[in-house]
Amino acid sequence: MASLSYEEAAHLLRRAGFGGTPEEISDLSSRGREGAVDFLIDFGQIDNSAMDSLLTASFDFSNPLANDAKFNQNEIRRWWLTRMATTKRQFEEKITLFWHNHFATSINKVSGNNGLFMFNQNKLLRDNALAKFDDLLLKVAQDPAMLIWLDGLTNVLGKPNENFGRELQELFTMGINDVVTGQQNYTEDDVKQIARAFTGWDYQRTSPFTFRINANQHDNGTKTIYGQPGNFSGQDVITMISARPATARYLTWKLFNFFVYPVTGSDADKSTIEHFAKLYLNNDHSIKELVRAIFTSDEFFSDRAFFSLVKQPVEFVVGAVRMLGGTYNPGSTVSTPPRTSTELQTSSRNMGQDLLNPPDVSGWDFNLGWVNTASMLERFNFANRYINNRITNAPGVFVTNDQLKSITRGSSKKTVKRFLSRLGPLSVGDALLTLRTYLETGDNGQPVTYVNDDATVDKKIRGLVHQILSLPEFQLN
Amino acid sequence: MAINRRQFIKRSAGAVSVSLVMPKFWMANVARGQEAAADPNRKIFVVIQLAGGNDGLNTVVPFTDMKYHDLRPILGFKDTELKDAQGNSTILGNDPLGLNPAMSELKSLYDAGRVAILLGVGYPNPNLSHFFSMDVWGTANLTAAGVGWLGRYADQKLLGKSGLSAVSIGGSLPKTFYANKFVIPNITPAGNPDPFVNYAFQTDGKFVGDKNNQINTFKSTNTRSFPADSFIDAIAKDGFDAEEGAAQLRAAVLNYTPGATYPTGGQPSTTAVSFASALKMVAQIITTIPDANLFYVQLGGFDHHSQEIGTNADNFTDKTKGQHAVLLKALSLGVKTFYDDLAAHGVADNVVMMTWSEFGRRPNENASHGTDHGTGSPMFVIGNAVHGGLYGQQPALSDLDSAGNMKFKLDFRSMYATILDKWLGADSQSILGAKFDNVGFLG
Repeated sequence: MASLSYEEAAHLLRRAGFGGTPEEISDLSSRGREGAVDFLIDFGQIDNSAMDSLLTASFDFSNPLANDAKFNQNEIRRWWLTRMATTKRQFEEKITLFWHNHFATSINKVSGNNGLFMFNQNKLLRDNALAKFDDLLLKVAQDPAMLIWLDGLTNVLGKPNENFGRELQELFTMGINDVVTGQQNYTEDDVKQIARAFTGWDYQRTSPFTFRINANQHDNGTKTIYGQPGNFSGQDVITMISARPATARYLTWKLFNFFVYPVTGSDADKSTIEHFAKLYLNNDHSIKELVRAIFTSDEFFSDRAFFSLVKQPVEFVVGAVRMLGGTYNPGSTVSTPPRTSTELQTSSRNMGQDLLNPPDVSGWDFNLGWVNTASMLERFNFANRYINNRITNAPGVFVTNDQLKSITRGSSKKTVKRFLSRLGPLSVGDALLTLRTYLETGDNGQPVTYVNDDATVDKKIRGLVHQILSLPEFQLN
Repeated sequence: MAINRRQFIKRSAGAVSVSLVMPKFWMANVARGQEAAADPNRKIFVVIQLAGGNDGLNTVVPFTDMKYHDLRPILGFKDTELKDAQGNSTILGNDPLGLNPAMSELKSLYDAGRVAILLGVGYPNPNLSHFFSMDVWGTANLTAAGVGWLGRYADQKLLGKSGLSAVSIGGSLPKTFYANKFVIPNITPAGNPDPFVNYAFQTDGKFVGDKNNQINTFKSTNTRSFPADSFIDAIAKDGFDAEEGAAQLRAAVLNYTPGATYPTGGQPSTTAVSFASALKMVAQIITTIPDANLFYVQLGGFDHHSQEIGTNADNFTDKTKGQHAVLLKALSLGVKTFYDDLAAHGVADNVVMMTWSEFGRRPNENASHGTDHGTGSPMFVIGNAVHGGLYGQQPALSDLDSAGNMKFKLDFRSMYATILDKWLGADSQSILGAKFDNVGFLG
């Protein structure tokens, strides 16, 4: 079994989750590479009762159709970010985020029933995130959110709507061209024929909004798909597509870009994709086995992978809390009076990632897509609000002086290094000296001697952490 | 969904190139307190969103139409009631329409020929969801797909200009300003005395003496050299530009002196004060940033399903008071004060304002002294360059659709096309994706 260094374990937890404390990272490290990955992926065995209790105390989703303040799109976002910030099963939330971006659906169009359909889709993605891909895809395709989002409801006999049939192939499974061979994966006629196979897909208009097929709106004629004639149903199409090598390659490519590093068109990268695509095909399309293989791979732990992605906004805000051992108190709609904090969702939205509302069906723009002057200012100012929030008895996000003091050391150099380690570990070159100088500079710019007393912690250590969270290095994952 | 520009960029070459998204804050001619020189070629456009669905029939009142009074026995204004607080008529000349009496300031601008009122503005098969319809208006696309219409304009016209040539003032960036390449900042007002205070690299409020150390440290760590074309290099450069651009803006607006008296102290309403304050921020940027071109401010709360008029004291029957009157007064007073301020700074000729709302409200009032989601409603375009008067056509209340809503008479994209072609000097067809008739209120 391969060993797992502290740096590798931190990298694994940042990518498979949002990052963690030294205790969490050391625990992963002690499990070795395969053991740590198994621990993260087979998350069902991890006790999550603390989060469950917090959710029960903080949310009342018992009557989503009531159209009141207890269930709406902002509450769903608060609920999800509470999970991300407090779960012990970090990979469960991260892979759900992956699928939310992959099957990118927006509440802007799927706004009915107070956001219930978006909430149900989120649960569906979470519950089936590691299933056989065919099963996940079928459930997504039959779910009301997708039927509304890509106009499945208006895809009827004689008047096919091609929206879902197109995106199913272009964005959800294969891409227009094979990511390895470059060959065209399907024709415009395949789009038309596949749209016919999904005609009549519908859902019951009363709770629980169960999937149904309107038999009299379904096209039972012969369709020719990928050159093969037959009376294919939508489910048949999903089975066919899920088994295509192009799908295996495209899914691998998406997973690599999200979890490992930006994939190039080089021969080496193509052969890497091909390697994992075969694994998908040989393991009955198991998403779980595919991600297990990716996370235990040498590619995942290669130098090229470390800090090769720009942190997504939710990774930034949740990671800043989790790595430092800070607290997100989401507040509660159950308490009297109800008081809540929407800090995490508002901040990540202002940084460009509004959960439940991706910009379009192809999801968010990653990496440089997150980087502009307005979004960077939001990152720096979230860091300021978080680190300098001294109100610890109200909903919000904060870290206490005692927590910060426990990370300090007697010398400025060791203190800066401890915080850089805690928030990465980050390697920052010359900035280490700049940060030390900051600790040793008084209000008038005069040199002062660093001591890790309470007054210094409340002032300069909070300032130091704000600076580290604003470093270019901390924006990377 | 067809491939749009955004997807095209995303799918080719992996990512948007850094040079495209990097705004240029380095404006040599922007110095502290310096006013932008008068320039007849400056064309500034200010969008005012009335969010929630403004009740058009009680904004521009068809007071001679008996159908209106039938449909609105409680909410409807009689001709004798179309008088502002000073007793001046708000009826529009000899036309059978009158402004809501709360809008006395806008009436004075109308009388001066500075206001075009576009009647019955809407779009085919209207969607009565707030969010969807807002996105239709924001994208100028009936399927609500793609980025914002002014975002597309910014992508065409503003690349290479100051990062502050387009600015949204409000809680978050509106869809109208979503762009593929040009990045438009949103500035959340911080209230008086310095509404721009939050648009800065913020530091710990408890230890302001440490602020300079913080800023210097940030600048130092974000100006290190990194490999060219790397993510980290783009991050450091944009991060530094963000801090510097914000600092320059704050320095530039510091010596601005208002040329009109903006409402304060919660009078006539807290809404009026905050709306006018947002417009004042726009005036501060207009008068100090020469590249200033596009602005966006929002006035929310128009979703008056109940108690649209009146207060507890009058059992919600006094039409001169209540939620709708408060909002229309805020709009009217804010616009007029802003206009006067611009005039005092000599830039009133350079600015055109446009209001929009995602839909109007149902002609038939409901049982809660309110109105439900409806369609087509009037929009205002305001400015010295505007040919004042009435445009479009008041929808007939005797010819409602199956839901009891009015049939629109003027496509909102014609209003946009007129502004793009005749004011912003753009090619409306390339931005809106089709040719729409100009309406004639400009040019």
